[in-house]
Amino acid sequence: MSETVELAASFVAEETCAHAIEALREAHVGQSRIFSPMPCHKIQHAIGLPPSPVRAYVLGAGISGVITGLLITIGTSWEWNLVAGGKPIVSWPPFIIICFELMILFGGTTALLTFMLMARVPAFEPTAGYRSRFSGDRFGVVVVCDEQQADMVETILKQVGAEEIMRDAA
Amino acid sequence: MTRRYQEHEEIAVSSNPGAVLQKTGVEPEHRPIRAAGPVFTGVSAALTVIGVIAFAVGLTNGAAARVWQAYLVNLLFFLCVAQGGVVVSAAAYLSQGRWAGATQYRLAEAGGMFLPVGFVLFFGLFFGRTVIFPWVQHPVAQKAAWLNTPFLFARDGIALLVMTLLSLGLMRASRSAAACAWAANPANIVMPPPAVRRLAPAVAIAFAAIYTLIAFDLIMSLAPAWHSTLFGAFFFGASFLSGIAAMALGAVLLRSVLGEHNIFRTPRVLHDLGKFLFAFSVFWVYLLFAQYIVIWYGDMPVETFFIVQRVYYPPWEAFSYAVAILMWVIPFIVLMGVRPKRTPAILGTVAFAVLVGAWIELYVLVVPSLSQWVVPFGWIELFISLGFLGIFLLSSAHGINLVSTTATTEQLMEGEGHA
Amino acid sequence: MAAALPQEVAPSFDEVDRHVLQAFMETPGLAYWAWIGFCFTLVGIGVALWTRQIYEGLGVTGLRQPVMWAVYITNFVFWVGIAHSGTLISAILYLFRTRWRTGVYRAAETMTLFAVLTAGLCPLMHLGRVWFFYWLLPYPNERYLQPDFRSPLVWDAFAVSTYLTISALFLFMGLIPDVANAREHARGWRRIFYAILSLGWQGTDSQWRHFSMAYLLMAGLATPLVLSVHSVVSWDFAMAQLPGWHSTIFAPYFVAGAIFSGVAMVITLLVPMRRLLHLEDVVTPWHFDNLAKVVLLTSLIVTYSYITESFMAWYTGDPIERMTFQMRYFGPYGWLFWLMCFCNCIAPLALFSPRIRLNLKALWVISIFVNIGMWTERFVIIAGSLATNFEPSQWSFFGPSITEIMITVGTFGWFVGLFSLFARFLPIVSMTELKEGIGWLRQALRGQLYE
Repeated sequence: MSETVELAASFVAEETCAHAIEALREAHVGQSRIFSPMPCHKIQHAIGLPPSPVRAYVLGAGISGVITGLLITIGTSWEWNLVAGGKPIVSWPPFIIICFELMILFGGTTALLTFMLMARVPAFEPTAGYRSRFSGDRFGVVVVCDEQQADMVETILKQVGAEEIMRDAA
Repeated sequence: MTRRYQEHEEIAVSSNPGAVLQKTGVEPEHRPIRAAGPVFTGVSAALTVIGVIAFAVGLTNGAAARVWQAYLVNLLFFLCVAQGGVVVSAAAYLSQGRWAGATQYRLAEAGGMFLPVGFVLFFGLFFGRTVIFPWVQHPVAQKAAWLNTPFLFARDGIALLVMTLLSLGLMRASRSAAACAWAANPANIVMPPPAVRRLAPAVAIAFAAIYTLIAFDLIMSLAPAWHSTLFGAFFFGASFLSGIAAMALGAVLLRSVLGEHNIFRTPRVLHDLGKFLFAFSVFWVYLLFAQYIVIWYGDMPVETFFIVQRVYYPPWEAFSYAVAILMWVIPFIVLMGVRPKRTPAILGTVAFAVLVGAWIELYVLVVPSLSQWVVPFGWIELFISLGFLGIFLLSSAHGINLVSTTATTEQLMEGEGHA
Repeated sequence: MAAALPQEVAPSFDEVDRHVLQAFMETPGLAYWAWIGFCFTLVGIGVALWTRQIYEGLGVTGLRQPVMWAVYITNFVFWVGIAHSGTLISAILYLFRTRWRTGVYRAAETMTLFAVLTAGLCPLMHLGRVWFFYWLLPYPNERYLQPDFRSPLVWDAFAVSTYLTISALFLFMGLIPDVANAREHARGWRRIFYAILSLGWQGTDSQWRHFSMAYLLMAGLATPLVLSVHSVVSWDFAMAQLPGWHSTIFAPYFVAGAIFSGVAMVITLLVPMRRLLHLEDVVTPWHFDNLAKVVLLTSLIVTYSYITESFMAWYTGDPIERMTFQMRYFGPYGWLFWLMCFCNCIAPLALFSPRIRLNLKALWVISIFVNIGMWTERFVIIAGSLATNFEPSQWSFFGPSITEIMITVGTFGWFVGLFSLFARFLPIVSMTELKEGIGWLRQALRGQLYE
């Protein structure tokens, strides 16, 4: 029975990390996790996942904000219908403003909450393969694979230009 | 033409090799595709002739009011489009935007040569002043020091002259070798060359001041009792938007005309133009709403009559709604996503809709003051508008050819380059 | 591009980290705590006088008919205005992919949060019965009344609360990766504090994917929010029929003025902060050059608005409008108007010169002028227009009482004190974004800005 091994490679530059991801994909090595100290367009491009679904939730939340605004303003104005300043009971120019603000409020809060949900944050345990430097100045590629594959993977990573490769039992 | 092409080619090669822009494989011996060729010039000339004939026929057949209204609306519209484009160029230089190399600047400035023509045409209004400006035949006592014929034509004439000269100066500096080299090198944080660096803020500041003056004098004074402090900014905001819409439409049209290798085939360029169009259409509706809500809330007759006539009653009601739909609702809904902005057909249609909306907007601002309850729109208005379009296209022909040249010699790598 | 430059070129990621971390990871000395003590002493005096005001009523202020809105509302508008530039820099310039934003946006966003907090207190200070502040929010009640959504004051309540929430969330979100980095370098109580604050962030690709999208969306939402909040604040005045207040240009004029005063306040805070926290290599003259250009642009917009309003007052032909503006220039508050013109319109013209923009001392002085000028502008508009209203027999010229003065001073102490606390315990410069744009920083440090 082969044991699974965890290889953690650290890269100095964003581009070499992106090349590593492409090289690993070509070699059909599954399951790699990438750490980076900053958001990297090149790395996201190399990984090639579709854009995050957070935006669908935010759109929905924005629309619900507009609807809530309309409900609150129109509802309360009908309920307690005093004519103030000669304006109609249901006057759209002021109500639009409230709807707009609530749209932003709901949308923004949802953006943060959905992000936290999907990124699984707060995270109470360290992710496997995480090293302290990956939050600072190194990019990390962590591959979990069988013992047999480990050597091949290590060669690939060294070829692409990894600065340091650490091998651990997974 | 060939010489200028070679000159530009040299610049592209000798600039920083780390630059994002690279030459395409187009050989210098092949003549570049000229979008504004003989057919284009011929059609534009024909349109111009139609316009002139309609103008003459209208004047001689007692439709002087309609003729001059159409003249004013079209003069303002095409001045807005041309000037808006030049100001987009100035703004791009000021914010050091280089998302499409030198092509974005050529595209923005393409309509710029209409400005001197528009300046001359402005003085044509003098001959129609009795039917355009109500205060010529019925002077307003308290405003007579400002609203009188000699002062108005003098100040607006000088203002437009200054604006035209500054714009032409910027266009010339923008086409210099130094500016093209700067534009081809987005990886650098160095400022644009000195001539551009001095003219761009001058153009932007003059634009705000002078187009405010034009708005107050040529639109607001047609209803001498009315006032709105934001009107000047609203006018030049719409002008800026028209400039962007013209750029987007131009980019989409040139994309298909210029063949396989042109910069407008890079999706990112259309995406950026779409984002601009979206953002400034929202800005425009903000300026509209800011005026509307203050006037609506204050409910003071001296301010409300202008809005009431245009928004609350037929026949102008439909036109006002059309303006809002064309200039805001459509761009906002259609251009919100990423893919519509990158689809040329969609972007082009929305840009065209915005331009039509901008024309109708000026029509709704100008004409109801002069023709309260009747919407004058017939052959005269149509042909005079076509005439102005012809003049605009004729004067932009050279600018369009410059864009064609630059667009076919620059090529962007997808995803590179920063605003 | 950025990564193509050799890594030996300074600064490297690690050097950026060390520069920023040293600013807040070391225990502050006695001078710092003395400064905090001073700030919060001012706050204490303000609170004491506010308590007295709550007990004795608003009569202790200088407010008299017809000037029922004066210093407190000026403070409100001033602080909300200051807040706007932070969101401009962090959200709007993010959408424009502006390069110089990264060195200054965290400080600006922090300034925003504390300015909005301060601004939120100001209408409360103006309430006679402060404990009824919640009547502004819609909830089921037995008074047969709901907030009047047709009133601009209710729009204000919604706008400013939304702004406070979104600014706080946006700042928090941007802080997560930075605080994670700080956590890795920290020991003891700091490590626990940063670990909690960073929510255990580790920077995996899936985390970044969602983060980038959410951040972009928040920036996209915060952008119209900036425009709308100060427009709504301006409509507190423009909705009235009072000459000097009823003007369609108020919305964009106030927004431009807000950005103007806010960016000036950013400069006022950043110039000393940069020196005191030894951040000269991450907040460079190039950043200040660009901040100064924003100040200049907004100064020109404000000047344009003054001229347009003055012209229109004459153009309307309305004798009351003309009188209001005549009193504004030549009446008892006239000296304030001319001070305002000098500070807002004349002094910033110096920023046309690159040499002045790059001279941090001169820039700092100009920013102080702008802060004074913008506070004065709000006062001239608010109290000045009220003082000379439609009925000359009602005219009365307001003078602030000691309560109002010390409460105003207290708000400054509150703002600066909170900002100083943040700057010494949390990253005041964004390490994450600096690394993203490290190519630009390297060019800026080499100093070749103008040919």
